Parts: sequence; structure tokens; C-alpha cells
Amino acid sequence: MRMRAKLGYVAAGATVVVALLTPFLLMGMFSKGVAALGLHVDEIYSGGPKVRTIQMSGYSIDVHRAVMPHMLQRETAFVQMDWRPATALPAHVSDLVDVDGDGKPDVRVSFDVPKDPKAALRVDVEALSPRYEAMRDVGRERYSRLIVRVDDAVLVRVPVVGR
Amino acid sequence: MATEARGLRLGSAVRRGVGRSVLLTLPMVVWALLMFFHPGTATDRQSLIAAGATAAFMVALFFLMMRTGKTYRWRRVFFVALGLLFPVGFIYQVMHLRGTMGIPMEEMIAGRTPFCFMPIPMLILPAAVTRTVVFPGSILGAGGMSGAGIAAMVGMWLALTLVLGRGWCSYACFFGGIEEGMAAAPKKATIRKIDPRWRLMPWAVLLAMVLLSLALFEPAYCEWLCPFKAVSEYLAARNTLGLFQNALFVLLFAGLVVVLPLLTKKRTQCSCFCPFGAFQSIFNKTSVFDVKIDKERCKPCVLCQTACPTMSLSKESIERGETLLSCTKCGACVDACPRGAVNWHVKGTEAAANPERARLLFLYAAWAMAVMFGGSVIAQGIRTILHFVL
Repeated sequence: MRMRAKLGYVAAGATVVVALLTPFLLMGMFSKGVAALGLHVDEIYSGGPKVRTIQMSGYSIDVHRAVMPHMLQRETAFVQMDWRPATALPAHVSDLVDVDGDGKPDVRVSFDVPKDPKAALRVDVEALSPRYEAMRDVGRERYSRLIVRVDDAVLVRVPVVGR
Repeated sequence: MATEARGLRLGSAVRRGVGRSVLLTLPMVVWALLMFFHPGTATDRQSLIAAGATAAFMVALFFLMMRTGKTYRWRRVFFVALGLLFPVGFIYQVMHLRGTMGIPMEEMIAGRTPFCFMPIPMLILPAAVTRTVVFPGSILGAGGMSGAGIAAMVGMWLALTLVLGRGWCSYACFFGGIEEGMAAAPKKATIRKIDPRWRLMPWAVLLAMVLLSLALFEPAYCEWLCPFKAVSEYLAARNTLGLFQNALFVLLFAGLVVVLPLLTKKRTQCSCFCPFGAFQSIFNKTSVFDVKIDKERCKPCVLCQTACPTMSLSKESIERGETLLSCTKCGACVDACPRGAVNWHVKGTEAAANPERARLLFLYAAWAMAVMFGGSVIAQGIRTILHFVL
């Protein structure tokens, strides 16, 4: 048998071994390898990393780092704020939020919190700083301007102007 | 004369006795038991019946492959079952958890969109350039429908691709079976001539989707063109654009997966549209198994070309003694050849060197993968049906 043919059969045998090892070893190894690449889900979806937490009475506001769109991405820049726990929120929220941490409030965010967790939410945002865009009666229009309830938090995304 | 006689013998496929077929099937029995009844599997009545039925189904098909020497006929039974039962199990799960097939924005933000293998080629460039995965799922899974997460799905795809190459499209894809079933339904094709240039279409779609996904930073194929959104899940329409997107999914599904396969007896979506299929074709170069045509035995009757469901044979490729890059190793051409000229082949060996050995090596690897991956999908579908019946 020629060397090439021998190598071919060795490779074919190895393929069968790979198939048998896949559920017990290889799939896990490959998955860990992919996880170790340091990849992250696009911040347009995840909202970006949390940078600060503002304590309120009975609940807190997590402020995320501003998310910038890539290349021709159809969204505008935005900043996400999470009110949590949603169960501890009053029936109506109207909070001044210092988004950039300079000690001055940047936006006033107002929304009603219905008792039904599946009920649609609407938000008004008054811009106190020119860096943020005001929003009026916004629901879930785009990833960059929305209010949604995710698990036990109410997420508000406010567009950042001129970024 | 001797070659002629040998060809005819191989042409009628290697039929085995029951005892020898049982012996060859025994490893698959052990494998199926390991896959469906290992510690940690659900032990409720419906799950046990579903696991038992699936294990028996997969083992029986493998036995028939060994007994009859035919591959395509039995593989197709598995593949159609996979294609039909995947939506049953998946849609039930989606409806149970969310109450709708539309993915709400909240689920995407929470990273709970289940990841399927289709967007993998579209994710590579954005991930290479910015380490960003442009898919609203989670890398390690975030509960709900997200399953084990993107890393686990990509890991599974890597392992299966290493073994199968583009054989993925005949032994692992949980969508292709629907159109394979449709293509098998009519006795004769109504449309017999398909311009061979359509074979280039999946590459064009792949290139366009990869570049668009990089430019727009979104899984463009999932958002605009995937016909299988119609039988899995789709973006919850929030506006007219969303309605248009969903209408496009339904139209593409009806046209490419139902109507055209019925008219052409070909897997039209796989061979003329699917960018993931084109991407998988590249891995046929790294796979050690392929299909070869023994030019000495071949009297170009083109029965193999007619039988090929993915248009992976042309007159030129038959003259060269090989399939095209898009071959899914389904075995239709091998089964169709009356002279035994088309055979399974291990790269590096002669075209006619012990084809049954090559077939067995490939089938053990491919069927092991099919039992593990497709089998679990079939079991889930059967379990869902049992849930409603029992």
C-alpha cells in the first residue's frame, strides 16, 4: 500500500475517533476554546458594561458605559440605565440621573411601573445636558431608544447626541 | 470482462447477511444507548419512550444500510424525520416559554435568543476585527431558550465539521430534511433543466451576507433572508419593516423549500441559495472522505447527475472522476450508479480501492454524529408529540 493511501486510512480512522470523542471531550474542549477567545456580544444588544450604581430609596440605578455604533450600524449611540429591582419600584418613577458622574444631573427619566410585569412600558426623558436626547412617550422603538422590562429590572436607553 | 463483472457486483451494492449486518450494527447499538440513556437524561415516561424510539429508529436505519448496501434511501428517512420533527420540538418549546414564535426585544437584550449554526460564517469577520459577536445571544448561555450558548454551539459545529465536512448538510442540518422530503415526493421532476450557473448563487449570497454583516454589524442573513425563520422563530414585528421581513421569510420558505423542490426534485434551497452550505463546502477540502467516480467503469449515463439532490455533479466533473465541491455525501449518486462506478472514497487511496471499507469508515463517523446531534432533536420532537398524545 502506498504511503499516501496509508495516511488516508489513518486520517479516516482518526475521523471515527474524533466522532466518538466529540460528545465526551471534543465538544467541551472546542466550546471552552471559543469561550476563551474573549469574545463579547455586541453592546447594541447587551447594553455595554455597567460603570456606576446610584442608590435610591429602596432601589438602585445601574448606569452603563455609552455604546457607540460600529461602521454602518443602523443604531445611534446610547447610554443604558437599569432600575432594579423592578418589584421595589414605586408606581411612578421620576428620577434625576447623573449619567456621566460629574455631580450634575444629565437627564430626568419618568415612567409608570404597571403591576403586570408583561404590560408595555412608556418613558419620557427630559434632557438636562445637551449630550443626551430628550424622548417623549417612547416604548420599544429601536435598540438605542427604548424602555423594556428584562427579568427584575427596567431598562431605559437614551440616545447620546453628536457621537 | 473481469472489471465488468466486478462493476456489476458493486453496482448492485454489497448486500450482507443478517448475522454480519447485526455484527456491524452492534457498535451503533452501544453508541445509541450511550447517547440516549446516559446518566443525567430525563427519566419521565415521555422522555424514556422518545429516547427508546429514537435509538431504535437510528439503529434500525444503520442496520438497513449495512444489510442492503444502500445509503441514501435510509439516510433520507432519518433526514426527513429530523427536518419534520425539529420544528415540532422547537416551536413547542418557544411557545411554552414565550407564548409566541416572535423573539421579543427583551429576550434579545437579555441574550436569550437561541443560537443556530446558520449565522456562523457571518460572525467571523466582525469577531476577528472587533472581538464582537453580532448576535443577540450569550457566549455561555443565559437560561431560557439560549441553551448552552454561542460557544457551545460553535464548539459542536467545529467538531461535526471536522468529521463531516459538507456532509453536515446531509447528516446534521435540522432544516434540510424538509426540502429533501419535498424533493422526494413527486415521481418525476416537472422542471428538469436548471441552469448550472445557479450553483454559484450560494457563494454570492455568502459573500453578500458576510460583507453586509461586517458593515452593518448585525446577522444580516437571519434578519432578512433565512427561509427557516418560517418554521422556527422570527423577529417580533414592531413596524412595517418587520412585517416585510417576516413576509420575506415565508415567501422564501414557500418558494425554495416547498414549491421548487416539488417541481425540480432537487434541494433547491441548499444548492441554489444557502450561504451556510457554501461555507461548509470549503470544509470538504479538509474532510478525508469524498465520493469518486471510477472512469474505467463509468459509461456516462449521467444517472448519478440526475439523482444528485444538490446538483453536485456535472458532465465535466464526471469526466474528471469527482464530485463538485458542494457534495453533501448523501450517497444518492453511489446508490444510483448501476455499474458501481461511483463510490465512497478515502483521500490518498486509489479511486476504486475498497470502496466498501471507505463507506463503512465514513458511515460509522457520520452516523455516530447523526445519532448524537440529530437523534437528540428527533427525540425532542417525539417527546413533544407524546406530550400531546399521552
